[in-house]
Amino acid sequence: MQEIERLDGKMTWKSWLPGIFVIGGSLLMVPLRMQIGPSFVSDGGLMMLALACYILAALFLLTNLYAPSTMAEKIGFFGAALGVFFNLSSWLVRWVNAYEHEITIMRESGNMENPWMFRYIPFANLYDMSLAFAFGAGIATILLARRPSFRIIGAFTLPVAALILVLARFIGDEFIDLPPVLDSYWRPIHVGDAALSYGVAAVCFGVAIMYLLKDGVKVEAMAIWSSIFGISVLATISKFSVFTEFVYRAGLFVPNEIGKKPFSAPFRLEIPFVGPVLVVAGLLLAGAIVAFLLYLYQENLKAKTIGHYFLRLAFVAQIVSIGLLVVGMNDNAAVASRLQAQLNADPSQYVIAGQQMADNQQLTTQELAQMTPRQFEAMGRAYFQGSGDSMFLSLNTNPVEVASLLTALVGTMFILFFSFRTERLRERLPSLESLDGLMYKTACLAFAGLAMLLITGAIWANESWGRPWGFDSKETGALVAWLTYAGFLHTRIARGWSGRSSAYFAIVGFMLVIFTYLGVSYLLKGLHSYA
Amino acid sequence: MSTAEETFKQQPVTKRRTQPLLNKSLDFLSSVKFGVFQLCVLVVLSIIGMLIVQQNVQGFDSYYISLTPAEKLVFGYLGFFDIYHSWYYNVLLLLLSLNIVLASIDRFPTAWKYLVEPKLTATREWLANQKSTAALTMDTSDETEVVDRITKAFEAHGMKPVVTQANTMEYGVDDQGRKDFSVVKNRTSTVVFGQTGRINRLGAYIVHVFLLTLFLGHFVSLQTGFDADVRMIPGASTDEIQMIQFDLDTKEKFNVKLPFSMECTDIQQRLIDPTGSIDVSNTLDWRTELKIDDPDYGQQVVDVSMNKPFSYRGYRFFQAQTIPVGHGRIISFEATPQNGGEPVTATVKRNGTTSLPDGTTIEYSEFMPDFILGPDGRADTKSGDYNNPVAILNVTPPGGERTRVFAFAQKLADNMPVGAAKAGYKWRLTEFEKTPLAHVLSIKYDPYDAAFIAWYIGGFGLCGALAFVFFFSHRRVWAHVEKDENGDLQVTLAADANRNQIALNDKFLEIAEEIKTKQE
Repeated sequence: MQEIERLDGKMTWKSWLPGIFVIGGSLLMVPLRMQIGPSFVSDGGLMMLALACYILAALFLLTNLYAPSTMAEKIGFFGAALGVFFNLSSWLVRWVNAYEHEITIMRESGNMENPWMFRYIPFANLYDMSLAFAFGAGIATILLARRPSFRIIGAFTLPVAALILVLARFIGDEFIDLPPVLDSYWRPIHVGDAALSYGVAAVCFGVAIMYLLKDGVKVEAMAIWSSIFGISVLATISKFSVFTEFVYRAGLFVPNEIGKKPFSAPFRLEIPFVGPVLVVAGLLLAGAIVAFLLYLYQENLKAKTIGHYFLRLAFVAQIVSIGLLVVGMNDNAAVASRLQAQLNADPSQYVIAGQQMADNQQLTTQELAQMTPRQFEAMGRAYFQGSGDSMFLSLNTNPVEVASLLTALVGTMFILFFSFRTERLRERLPSLESLDGLMYKTACLAFAGLAMLLITGAIWANESWGRPWGFDSKETGALVAWLTYAGFLHTRIARGWSGRSSAYFAIVGFMLVIFTYLGVSYLLKGLHSYA
Repeated sequence: MSTAEETFKQQPVTKRRTQPLLNKSLDFLSSVKFGVFQLCVLVVLSIIGMLIVQQNVQGFDSYYISLTPAEKLVFGYLGFFDIYHSWYYNVLLLLLSLNIVLASIDRFPTAWKYLVEPKLTATREWLANQKSTAALTMDTSDETEVVDRITKAFEAHGMKPVVTQANTMEYGVDDQGRKDFSVVKNRTSTVVFGQTGRINRLGAYIVHVFLLTLFLGHFVSLQTGFDADVRMIPGASTDEIQMIQFDLDTKEKFNVKLPFSMECTDIQQRLIDPTGSIDVSNTLDWRTELKIDDPDYGQQVVDVSMNKPFSYRGYRFFQAQTIPVGHGRIISFEATPQNGGEPVTATVKRNGTTSLPDGTTIEYSEFMPDFILGPDGRADTKSGDYNNPVAILNVTPPGGERTRVFAFAQKLADNMPVGAAKAGYKWRLTEFEKTPLAHVLSIKYDPYDAAFIAWYIGGFGLCGALAFVFFFSHRRVWAHVEKDENGDLQVTLAADANRNQIALNDKFLEIAEEIKTKQE
């Protein structure tokens, strides 16, 4: 007879205390901020503290995987809780800051109106959304880590939360002028639900990775997928120029009013040495893929060893390229003359800039059809003449590109971690059954949350635009992600697909969530381009 | 001929019958495999629609022109520019709905059985094969007391216990572990059964009902309604709106007659900085005041604001855009008597009238934000910005003639013709509330409120049903009590749940503990 065991002893109400303290403590920061005023720690500062806590907590939890220590586990757990506290505090303080920012403008112009407080809720752009998304992942992690046997999940989910905050850092925390259509009570409901659902999906993704690892999926197979992701990132950044021209060109900013986000210039400037190093990293990743394929399909052990060497070298090349990128982006000396030299060597960049400007002006098909390349070039040249001297480089010009490079780096790093004492690592992970159960639970939550997201979005769209569903790219992205989780749950309930199949579904589902969250905003046209 | 022989002969030897085509088709249409396949196709088509800019999306013009002729031809032929309204997308949605309906019908009897025919008894062997199972060692051999403990434990966990006495027969077992059919044993046992959340077995069907409500409502809304817009300028009235139809890069409009007429009586733009521009970035809200004149239902005055649409007889009016040429909603002006004396100030609304203390009547006629004299010498505006604002007034002095005067915001020299005194006064614009020339309202016609039903009832119902399905479960617990050959009590406890077995395990262990030890 198969006997069952209690997973973690009886869970009492005390296990909820960290979560309660985190939320309660963050709420206390609001009156403190209002009492102390603008000299209180900034929301950006709190966000950086949250980022530091997430990274440290993840490191302690990872250490605990290899060298089990109750102390490391506790520091990891409470570090994560502290991170969630700073993360939520940052978001709440930003709410107060946004209110004071606009009220100051209104009062200075003699406007004595008092708009309602939800107008300022920090769900206005991708920065706000990223803060909330990371909070969703963080709070879901600490709530699940109530069970001591699940404490370890933070090692896999907190890096995701940290990467989201890194992205937020690169997006920049300037306040936007809120489009009136967003001034609706549906915004906190709809976007808040999105943030929490995305956060839970991130945790589901982390659990799926743990499951695959525990289930004996070879690290080399994981390395192939992470390397494919890394190569995809390298191939698409800088408008596909890395593999086609061996150069990396970064976007440029033109200053805006004080306190407002600078404008993006329609030109990109080459950053020295970054392109060639990225190409080397890409080649090494490709080499690792080939070697691991040889190992997996021909059981060639030598290829396995070579593949691991390639992967380590690729990791070094990725670090070097990011280092060069950061140094290059901080070098704002003679930007105009460097750009001028680049444009002289390749005047077609004027035409591209002109086309981008025309696109931004939303000209009609007829007007665009009448424009010649020479006119586009003239537009580009005129822009450069007018604004070339004020253009500057910043890491914030390409938030998604920098964050994607960092994500690819973290992906490689995790594969290197996994390849070290793999069997020991597998032993430390919770049982397959409990991971599968947790994956199912988090997928259910994400699925229900995404359903709520679609419904509240449709109702809001019906209230604001007069149509509940218009197949806007963000709507469709969210629908596709939801359908993927529907596939996950249906195959599980009706066909008994669990374990690995569910894990693959969870990974694909989260990739689609990320595509909806970032890809749609940065790559596709639509009504949600602000966030 | 014995009956047995007769029966044998009467049965013709036939070929093995294959399943009828209709059954096969229905089985296929109701299968989960087909449903998941359709979901995958839906995902692929939706991704295509996401990556290829759709013809109703802003920016389609520039995207369309950037395509090669071959791309335009292929994408156009395949319907990729309007994929969500293509015939195959609609067929797919229809098939998916059919799949949901048929799958629900197919599986409903099994689910219903859980509700009406609970499994009250079970053998010890069957219970031993359940996911949560335990053989309990009891501290008493009193069967009545054990059953009593079990029922109390079940009740304490929200289950209504059902006690059944079961008599079973089984064959003996020989020395080699094989069944010995010559030995028959009769066993008497007591089975206590309890369950919670049995209605959860129907959760999937409730989800499907709301999903179909959503699909159907949305479909009805699309088939019976249309989108339109109408331009609203204060003082103007209309009983027509313009229906919009997209055809690739062309947007066609057709006039549609309303069963009532509307007059725009006021438009307002609430600004963050009232001294700033009338851009979206400086706007808190737009408001349009309409006077509805309906031959069937009379007159009423209504407001349409951002995020606060107005619904009337199946038509919903929304704020869509503005004609961003600066105007003055309410203006204040100063009139300085030509013959000397103290200046008089007055305020007047757009299209409104006021009068001065001496009886001079002033009608607020026009507003130019960036005054310029046109080539034909007529007043015009150079741009929509408030660079050189002027209010044009029609002034009628007591007993005098109606005169058109210009009240500029900036001070003008006396020798300038437009700045000269007219109708007995020198006029100056002192203050004005910024507002655009016109608002454009978008209109959604939905005669049956199908979108509302679809998204509020279907949508929220779906979310609630999903929460019910995934966060609750049907839990069943059995306790099998039997005395063995030595007279010792054998208690086997087992439980199953349709989902979240891990959470049930915790509960299961609590129940086992409560049964093993006598509760005070």
